[in-house]
Amino acid sequence: MNEGSKVVEVLEARAERRSDRRDFFRKAVAGMAAAPLVLTIGGTPLHAQAAVSDADILNFALNLEYLEAQFYYYAFFGTGLPANILGGTGTQGTVTGGRKVTFTDPVVSQYAAEIAADERAHVEFLRTALGSAAVAQPAIDISSTPTGAFSTAARAAGLIGAGESFDPYANDENFLLGAFIFEDVGVTAYKGAAALISNKVFLEAAAGILAVEAYHAALIRTTLFRKGIQAPALITATEKISGARDSLDGSSDKDQGIAMRGDASNIAPLDENGLAYSRTAGEVLNIVYLTAMARSQGGFFPAGVNGTIRTSSAN
Amino acid sequence: MMDEDKVLELLELSEKRRDARRAFLRSGSAAAIAAGGVTLLSGCFEDGNNNNSGNTPAPQTPAPPPPPPATGAITDQDILNFALNLEYLEAQFYSYAAFGTGLPENLLGGTGTRGQVIGGAKVNFTDPVVAAYAREIAMDERQHVAFLRQAIGATAVAQPAIDVGVSSLSAFSAAARAAGLIGPGEVFDPYANDENFLLGAYIFEDVGVTAYKGASPLITSKTFLEAAAGILAAEAYHAGLVRTVLYGKGIQTPALVTATEKISDARDSLDDPSDKDQGVMQRGLASNIVLADANAIAYSRSAGDVLNIVYLTAAAASQGGFFPAGVNGTIRMSTAG
Repeated sequence: MNEGSKVVEVLEARAERRSDRRDFFRKAVAGMAAAPLVLTIGGTPLHAQAAVSDADILNFALNLEYLEAQFYYYAFFGTGLPANILGGTGTQGTVTGGRKVTFTDPVVSQYAAEIAADERAHVEFLRTALGSAAVAQPAIDISSTPTGAFSTAARAAGLIGAGESFDPYANDENFLLGAFIFEDVGVTAYKGAAALISNKVFLEAAAGILAVEAYHAALIRTTLFRKGIQAPALITATEKISGARDSLDGSSDKDQGIAMRGDASNIAPLDENGLAYSRTAGEVLNIVYLTAMARSQGGFFPAGVNGTIRTSSAN
Repeated sequence: MMDEDKVLELLELSEKRRDARRAFLRSGSAAAIAAGGVTLLSGCFEDGNNNNSGNTPAPQTPAPPPPPPATGAITDQDILNFALNLEYLEAQFYSYAAFGTGLPENLLGGTGTRGQVIGGAKVNFTDPVVAAYAREIAMDERQHVAFLRQAIGATAVAQPAIDVGVSSLSAFSAAARAAGLIGPGEVFDPYANDENFLLGAYIFEDVGVTAYKGASPLITSKTFLEAAAGILAAEAYHAGLVRTVLYGKGIQTPALVTATEKISDARDSLDDPSDKDQGVMQRGLASNIVLADANAIAYSRSAGDVLNIVYLTAAAASQGGFFPAGVNGTIRMSTAG
């Protein structure tokens, strides 16, 4: 890349995309203004929206990848990610819960192994891309206690009652439903961010991760659909989880379970143009924080995510 | 958009993306230079895509034509039209397989030479779940055609000639032969049964993912970029679906898994020398549903490499395979070697 290109990129990042970024981060910028590391000139904080960089976006994604990777790693290996890929800027947190699934169906076990390796690779790739700016893993709750994030999510979806617990490590089916909670959200998060990334190398990489999350989501949805022939409750559960996600992320319908639409399946959740949905960062945080309100922590991230993008949308 | 933004976009378009577009289009850029030839072939072809480039000589321009710098001539519409050709192909295949008919006439017209479909047939599905999958993907791909036609507007390309037929000389048979699935003179019929349908789908789906990913950094308009990302995701959902079903059925029928590896190898032998393709065969303890590199990032293919696969040739060509008369639009040459 020549110098002229770099200058154009910097200019572009500051000028052209600003309005797009404002929209993308919506309520998230309120959180940035309150962040401890806001730059100041003469004691006056810079306007928060101008400070959002590609690094901020990739760090936001890195938080999500930590969450996914830890869940799949525990489910397949019974252990978390190695300690040497968890440090970085911000407050490093620990993982609550998580354990090895005793898989009945060897194919589901092979799927878990594949996705675990992919998600770890995403963590490592993003950390490498971000270099010293990479955020540390925040505190993550992937436990199966009645007050844990998975149980809260399952309760919001109506899968369990008050005081009950949802254990995504109990069996193949629960593991698949636990995975279902995350995967489509990753697709919408990367799609929502795609148009906001300035650097074309990062953009193409993000498009590649987007594709992989969609492969994962299809794997999970296809497997649940197949098992749902014998166990229709699984299909009902996906509709309920999707309904819960939709109730958290605002008024528009951006989510679908895998129940048949007419005589067609619904493996790919798409709009009327056959396109995947986008979610803003704030909407993604609504789901992983398990709140429809503007919050800086909750759900799967008990102490919030690290980085400048950390506040969910007020819906 | 502010004027400053427009200036930046133009600067970026003319300077920064040139190299990337060169790499993307490679031999395809020669096709952009030869756009006059397209006009001759198509008769009524209106090269409206290049109106704002100033680089395409008007048909009436007397010789000698100025040597047009090909790089500046490629627009978002050129890229989306390239994608539209691929969507016509996918949509026709799935439409025949799921419904026994092709796309409706009102979705097929446009610039360039309108071609006919050497058609397929409705699959007599054994597994009702696979039939439901076929109907889902068929509707998605038809929506992609309709969406892209609307997004591109008046300069949307017509459907080119497409071969999704069944004969020993068909594109599907040629592809299956290149993969070593059938011998000389034999026929691969992707409509014969569930398994063949899935393998036929397998030939296309991952390629769509790599094509949209390869194009993503070259699209100027943020609106088009986000839409392309949405189609990319849809193609990856489809690919994940098809690969998952083949993997599951491969437990009882290992030949299906072997076939995916052979088809992937054939695709690899047609595009550039790097390894960008994998079947679904188990790697260690893990399945291989996701087609991705060591960083778990999907691969990119240049337009020329994508055309190598759908033209079924490793050479620089302007037609062949699933597009017997080539694709419509300015991007139409496959990559040499």
